[in-house]
Amino acid sequence: MPGKVVTLEPPAETLAVRLYLPLLSGMALTFRKFVSNVLSRKARPTIEYPEERRAYSDRFRGRHILKTREDGTLKCVACYMCATHCPADCIHIEAGEHPNLAYEKYPTVFEIDLLRCVMCGFCVDACPKDAIWMTKDYELSFFARKDAVYGIPELTEKPSDTAPDGPGYGYRPYYGESPKRKAGQFEPSGLAVLPMTLARNADINRMPPPPPPKPPAPAPPKPA
Amino acid sequence: MSATLAPSAGVTFAPVLQRAFPDGAVRVEPRPAHDVPTLVATAEAFPAAARFLRDDPSTSFDLLLDLVAVDRSRLDGPPSCRGEERFQLNALLYSTKRNEHLRLRVALPATDPRLPTLVETWPASNWFEREAWDLMGIRFDGHPNLARLLTHNGFVGHALRKDYEAGQRWLCTDEDVLQTRLAAKTDLPEDVFETTTLNFGPSHPATHGTLRIVVRLDGERVVAAESECGYLHRCFEKMSETHTYTQVIPYTDRLNYCSPMINGAGYARAVEQMLGIEIPPRARAVRVVLSEFSRIMDHMVCIGANLVDVGGLTTFWYSYQAREEIYSLLEACCGARLTSSYARIGGLSMDVPANFVEWCRSLSRSVRDRIDEVDTLLTKNRILHKRMMGTGVVTKEQAIAWGFTGPCLRASGVGYDVRKDKPYDGYDEVDFDVPVATAGDNFSRFHVRMEEMRQSLRIIEQVVSRLPGGPVVSDDYRVVLPPKEMVYNEMEGLIFHFKNVFEGIQVPAGEVYSFTEGANGELGYSIVSDGSGRPYRVKVRPPCFPLFAAFEKIVVGGLVSDAVATLGTLNIIAGELDR
Repeated sequence: MPGKVVTLEPPAETLAVRLYLPLLSGMALTFRKFVSNVLSRKARPTIEYPEERRAYSDRFRGRHILKTREDGTLKCVACYMCATHCPADCIHIEAGEHPNLAYEKYPTVFEIDLLRCVMCGFCVDACPKDAIWMTKDYELSFFARKDAVYGIPELTEKPSDTAPDGPGYGYRPYYGESPKRKAGQFEPSGLAVLPMTLARNADINRMPPPPPPKPPAPAPPKPA
Repeated sequence: MSATLAPSAGVTFAPVLQRAFPDGAVRVEPRPAHDVPTLVATAEAFPAAARFLRDDPSTSFDLLLDLVAVDRSRLDGPPSCRGEERFQLNALLYSTKRNEHLRLRVALPATDPRLPTLVETWPASNWFEREAWDLMGIRFDGHPNLARLLTHNGFVGHALRKDYEAGQRWLCTDEDVLQTRLAAKTDLPEDVFETTTLNFGPSHPATHGTLRIVVRLDGERVVAAESECGYLHRCFEKMSETHTYTQVIPYTDRLNYCSPMINGAGYARAVEQMLGIEIPPRARAVRVVLSEFSRIMDHMVCIGANLVDVGGLTTFWYSYQAREEIYSLLEACCGARLTSSYARIGGLSMDVPANFVEWCRSLSRSVRDRIDEVDTLLTKNRILHKRMMGTGVVTKEQAIAWGFTGPCLRASGVGYDVRKDKPYDGYDEVDFDVPVATAGDNFSRFHVRMEEMRQSLRIIEQVVSRLPGGPVVSDDYRVVLPPKEMVYNEMEGLIFHFKNVFEGIQVPAGEVYSFTEGANGELGYSIVSDGSGRPYRVKVRPPCFPLFAAFEKIVVGGLVSDAVATLGTLNIIAGELDR
């Protein structure tokens, strides 16, 4: 095994050290820093937030968005995978039956409590439908606790999320080293299979006739 | 995924043990090769076995790493798990002379589990025993102060017992706040004319976190001190029992929040050992690179914050600049600056960015500049020498007895570094030195950290120069989530995905103690699995727990301003101290 244990000796008590002379090189360093920071904005390591913002990578884990299909419906099929995988237990979903049979199931309620959320991105990893992504939006503050519970209207992806001055997409599903993707045979989106499914279900979709209107319930007998 | 049992793996001293305990009161338990060797003692023979293991030259386990108490009542085992052998106490030991780990185990009954204290044998066990009493209800006879440690005095019950109903709330009233024994103490030396009691923390600028220290002062000299922790207790271990193995990873980020990547990688490694899977070489290399950057970050924060306490604000800015630059790299890899959650069981969550190698090279150059700047400001600065040299002295014997590991142990002259002595993740293939100082004072701890940062840069440069290609996560879909194209398009991939998320990783029943070199010392994870998707018991060995336990002994006799400097060089991180 290369490398070894080396014993550090404390710095020697030379005359220069005893005369506090090494302090001068420290002062020269701070003075050099001072001059360069005054003369050049670029040399300064600080950022004047909020006028100036740090550029984050495309993996930044910020506010969640729910992706939509081309027809504007949510891609989410309410399978509860994200809610199950969430270590902070901050996702609440209620499922409903979608009128379009190709979609089968959809969330009637989809809420993320952003005060509970730890921004780990596990919901994105867990989603089998490519339906939840994250953005680079990190400016999340609320006046009341109930404002922090984002429902479907707040979470659905909006054009402003990807606008030039918007936050942009952050954490997305990771596709890994995939041979099919390298060969260009794979479109990394759940949408690719959707037209087929739609075609297969086209006539099924028409099949169930609208349920006949229910006869009005007989009025309860009035107590005498 | 089943491991074969080795009858006496690693126990070279079995014949000596047989002679010392001929009645079979201490026997070697077969353990799989990835776990540490284990001895089982009867409760009667336990204190004698402990003393024997410490004193006999063929064993010489002089350093107590951790006490792990396990409540086995919900394990699928023999009926004794719920009766005579309900509790297990595992003392994890290390021999600095022989570089070996050992687990000494004793079984305790369900009713009134008690043991003689180990404080005489290993002084480090003082706080570990308090923790075992607090959370598991194991009583230690003869303990000097068997008070609750992580929970408050108004707490009823023992939270980590399996029959404790989580979700109960206990009110902490004014009477339950630590009533300082110091204030009531009357047996102080005769020549103390008048002493005052001073309260540090839990929210004091010099404590860097919610720590509380009560000192008794004679003028400015500390005559007695008492430290208290638990203000940041977040039930990490209890929460882990109700989460899947993967879901624990975000919790590990919050242990040592100055170097979150090391915690996650250490935890993932522990579970990988239990599963018996190998991670791809690229994932190993990236874990090493980011862990070493995290170590630099942690040391930079320690030195910078410490210098603020002793009156030098400038260093703080320079050292934090390095940290900010490293955070940017971490964020580009995993998506968050601090709460990285980057490690996954089986590898990493995603591959590093395309410019990772160049980024690491330029970052290591700029971090080296920052280190040089800090060096220019401090190392030969006589003002710092006067503050740091000869204060907060911990001798080699004390450091071992108090259970120190990491930079604080190395500053006292013991060259134990897990990366060198028990290499993992390919640390044996890189060339680096382990810096050791001998004085054991505050300056030595500062000096060791300075040199360790340079060695970390050496490691980074070597690993980055031969960063392997290939995937960053294992292809065992029982453990890792399958690639998304399989999930979206294939039934089999979807099934693996569902089972992985809904049931968690099925870790075979067993137990492991896995340790890595954290920024503050040996970071150990003891995990017990019952074969389900959730850990049965997780116990972290936080490196700064023994450091803070010893703090009240180090500072006695010094000035109160030296106590502040000592607290800084010990680098107590409340997140990992209280869990």
